[in-house]
Amino acid sequence: MTYNHDLQFGVFVSPIAEPAHHGAELAMVAEAAGLDLITFQDHPYNPQFLDTWTLIAYAASVTKTIRLAGNVLNLPLRDPVQLATATASLDRLSGGRIELGIGAGAFWDGIGAMGGKKLTAGQSIEALGEGIELIREIWKADEPTSLATNGNHYRVEGVARGPAPAHEIGIWVGAYKPRILRLTGRLADGWLPSLGYLPDGPASLTAMNAEIDAAAIAAGRDPSAIRRMLNINGRFMESERGLFQGPVDSWARQIVELNRDYGISTFILAADDPQTIALFGTVVAPLARELAGEIVRA
Amino acid sequence: MPYYGHRLSFGTLLDPVTDPPERAVELARLSESLGYDLVMLRDEPHRPDLLDAWTALTWIAGQTERVWLGAMVQRLHRRLPAVIGRQLASLDLLSSGRAEFAFGPVESLNEVEALDEAIDIVRAILDVAELGTVTIDGRHFPVMGAQRGPLPQHTIPVWLSGSALPVLELAGRTADGWIGTAAELPLANAVIDSAATASGREPSEISRIVTVQAGDPLLPLVIEHGAGIILLDSNDPAVIERFAREAIPALRVAVDEARADLPAVVPAKPARMRAKRREGIAYDAIPITLQAHAVEPGDAAYARLRSNYLRGGSPGLILRPGTPEEVAEAIAFAREHRELPFSVRSRGHGISGRSTNDGGLIVDLRLMNKVEILDETTRRIRVQPGARWMDVAAAIEPYGWALSSGDYGGVGVGGLATAGGVGWLVREHGLTIDHMRKAQIVLADGSILETSETERPDLFWAIRGAGANMGIVTSFDFEVDPIGQVGWAQLVLDATDIAGFLQAWGSWIDNAPRDTTSFMIMGQQRSARQMYAHVLTVIDSDDPETIVSRLQPLADVARVLQQRISIETYADVMANASDHYHQGQGDPAVRSGLLNQITPEFAEAASRMIQGGGSYFFQIRSMGGAVADVPPEATAFVNRSAKFSVVAFGPSRSRLNAYWNEMTPLFDGLYLSFETDTSPERLLDAFPQPALSKLQRLKEHYDPTNLFRDNFNVLTGVRSEELGVR
Repeated sequence: MTYNHDLQFGVFVSPIAEPAHHGAELAMVAEAAGLDLITFQDHPYNPQFLDTWTLIAYAASVTKTIRLAGNVLNLPLRDPVQLATATASLDRLSGGRIELGIGAGAFWDGIGAMGGKKLTAGQSIEALGEGIELIREIWKADEPTSLATNGNHYRVEGVARGPAPAHEIGIWVGAYKPRILRLTGRLADGWLPSLGYLPDGPASLTAMNAEIDAAAIAAGRDPSAIRRMLNINGRFMESERGLFQGPVDSWARQIVELNRDYGISTFILAADDPQTIALFGTVVAPLARELAGEIVRA
Repeated sequence: MPYYGHRLSFGTLLDPVTDPPERAVELARLSESLGYDLVMLRDEPHRPDLLDAWTALTWIAGQTERVWLGAMVQRLHRRLPAVIGRQLASLDLLSSGRAEFAFGPVESLNEVEALDEAIDIVRAILDVAELGTVTIDGRHFPVMGAQRGPLPQHTIPVWLSGSALPVLELAGRTADGWIGTAAELPLANAVIDSAATASGREPSEISRIVTVQAGDPLLPLVIEHGAGIILLDSNDPAVIERFAREAIPALRVAVDEARADLPAVVPAKPARMRAKRREGIAYDAIPITLQAHAVEPGDAAYARLRSNYLRGGSPGLILRPGTPEEVAEAIAFAREHRELPFSVRSRGHGISGRSTNDGGLIVDLRLMNKVEILDETTRRIRVQPGARWMDVAAAIEPYGWALSSGDYGGVGVGGLATAGGVGWLVREHGLTIDHMRKAQIVLADGSILETSETERPDLFWAIRGAGANMGIVTSFDFEVDPIGQVGWAQLVLDATDIAGFLQAWGSWIDNAPRDTTSFMIMGQQRSARQMYAHVLTVIDSDDPETIVSRLQPLADVARVLQQRISIETYADVMANASDHYHQGQGDPAVRSGLLNQITPEFAEAASRMIQGGGSYFFQIRSMGGAVADVPPEATAFVNRSAKFSVVAFGPSRSRLNAYWNEMTPLFDGLYLSFETDTSPERLLDAFPQPALSKLQRLKEHYDPTNLFRDNFNVLTGVRSEELGVR
């Protein structure tokens, strides 16, 4: 099962505040290395980091082709109406290069300290679902009626729709547990877990994929509508010692295997140094694409 | 006729339209190119034809370089003030200190109480100098233990917009500025001023920002109603351009005429910032040219500037001049405060130079950081003191040149280039000061002089080794060396036999050709069974065989545990410092000694010190070679015969000195840059006679009141009544 998506490659960069231009400079490096995507984590309660949305907007402004996304934005501290307006605005400014990675929130003490509402896991998933639907409604700028919703978490009345994004912004959800996996299958355009959080490593992906697929089908969607993505971390080494612990060609082979076995098509490497990013973009990505092409031809 | 003393500034108020989205970006760039000071974006969430103002503003930050960036943000109920604080700091950092912020226009009076809370929260998040987390249990925004930060680059003003009475009162009570129309201004002033006064503020703490249309009469707004910032409300490039070319210059002339006879007024710092000021400093008398970059304890930039690399500080005022003339003004201000501590700083790495203090003044030279190529054929460059050595290395690398400085790229030019400079090419190309051909210096009396071998040669002698005593050097002309790629070896060696290792390493580098310079570092001993030494070596050659042949003998010195050998530019080797600001704390204990040979006696003493915990960072830099080609009397750096510069950082003064004093008889002088001991005996270690007497004579000539006393003061121990101190 590969869900028929092309291979894409990106990086996951720390939005550190000092030096402030770390993230924006690495966005330029990633773009020059031919990567498709740069993403930033979002922990608004942590002042060691820049505000992730502000960083994304700035990094988009100083790049030309690379796409950008939060990985993933913290919905409990970012109002969905505001987020919809902001992402659509940036998508227009950047010529359609913005995607929306979004999460239900995890560090509730930090969220509460900032003035966000503390939710249970179940509530936060429900809020995420409402939030995603609300964001999609706001983006429908052409609908003649103003917007009114009456959810358990978000209630709006008479809110103006728009602006419309420049392209169909993909909504990607970070998810591991069944309930939020089902939400992903029902509502999202992409699924974005991290390798490090998978309980049994890549083997965990099979059951999670199945959960998403079943929920998609139940909602009348094609499972391949949901792109399967993966945050990875690793190290380039002279000899292969494990998953993403080895030379570039073993990385490329492992990527193709994860694509073949689990349908993962977007690989996002956690990296904060230009050399690693350049190596991933200029060597690993082309090697993996070439290898994948050979397999298809064979 | 209110006049709040704000410098007249101009901005454009733009609509960030969705179609085409680049419209506001282009208008912002146009505004910047026309010399407007500020670009402000309107945020009207009920208008789907407008982009989100904050997002558009951040995009514009990436497309502009100079103009100040503001947004008038509405829809407070969809934003968390604690997040707004982080966003403001982030934009300010990304735009290099250009962020401004306004809430409003406030349309519903229900919002006023929420705004009051929001402003407090935003300010508390931005106030990183305060300790502890932020807890403001408001009715609207309960913030319970949020961490402060990030630290913005400058103090971000919070403005309010709205004409209802409660909004105006709130502005008077707490805002840094108020935005409104020309028609609203007179009444607004009355309310704001009385609310300000009633809450213990000066009305001039609040900027008056007025939105106008082209053709509006402007002079009365400024002269009669104290408007400080004029915001042109237009999205028409022709109107924006005409206003800049015609209305603004005409208004400036008219305002200058109308105010010609009025006394100068300086806007008041906010009361909450004034409360943090230190005693005895005439804050209101800071020269006008220095005001924009002056930093005092209440300013956002203070946290970034108060401390140096290794030393904590709480200065009362930091002046950051940008020209030699401004340096002279800063020195004049320091003369007026002769009784306060006074420090001079290029980039704050100094160990002997304190470069910070408690309650005194600092002249910080970081804004004077230019590196210019003067002449390609003679390889002459001109460098200002506030540049960092990694910036100098990067600027001259494209010409195939390098100038040996120290071992760390984050060090500033001024402190090192007035002391010595024992760097990666020292054995081949000598000290940094040996490359100096000319300098410009500002003296204690404010005169700006040039000095070289032929102009005031005595002064030129003194600034090459004891420069901090003579004045503030504002530019250095250096003759640099043609240097191609170099071999760069980072090795970790087994130094468990500390004394044996030190002798073997010393003998290796002493016998190596001049193209090889090596620095050795040992940390704390963590286990009696094992000790490592980091040996960092630069070989001025891009030939792998030469590099390997130079390093080969090291394999006999000790077992190599790790190695990394590469061929890089000198600039790459120097690009080793982060841009993070200094957060030093306490007062370091560091001793320096110069050595002609690593004798068994010295090696044993050093070994005892390291094993006994007297030093947690012990470094020996090889010298010799070209250093001794310059005669000892040629510069105030006298100890030219030394082959090694030894430095030890101790956990405490007493702990370090207990071991160091044992070694003192073995040294042949010291290198002042690494010495924290301020006792008078150290002067003769750094400046053996007749150098010290000569320096003292020159000091009395060039700095008779001993204004410059922060770094290895040559008058230490000389009784103050012998000086012409007023």
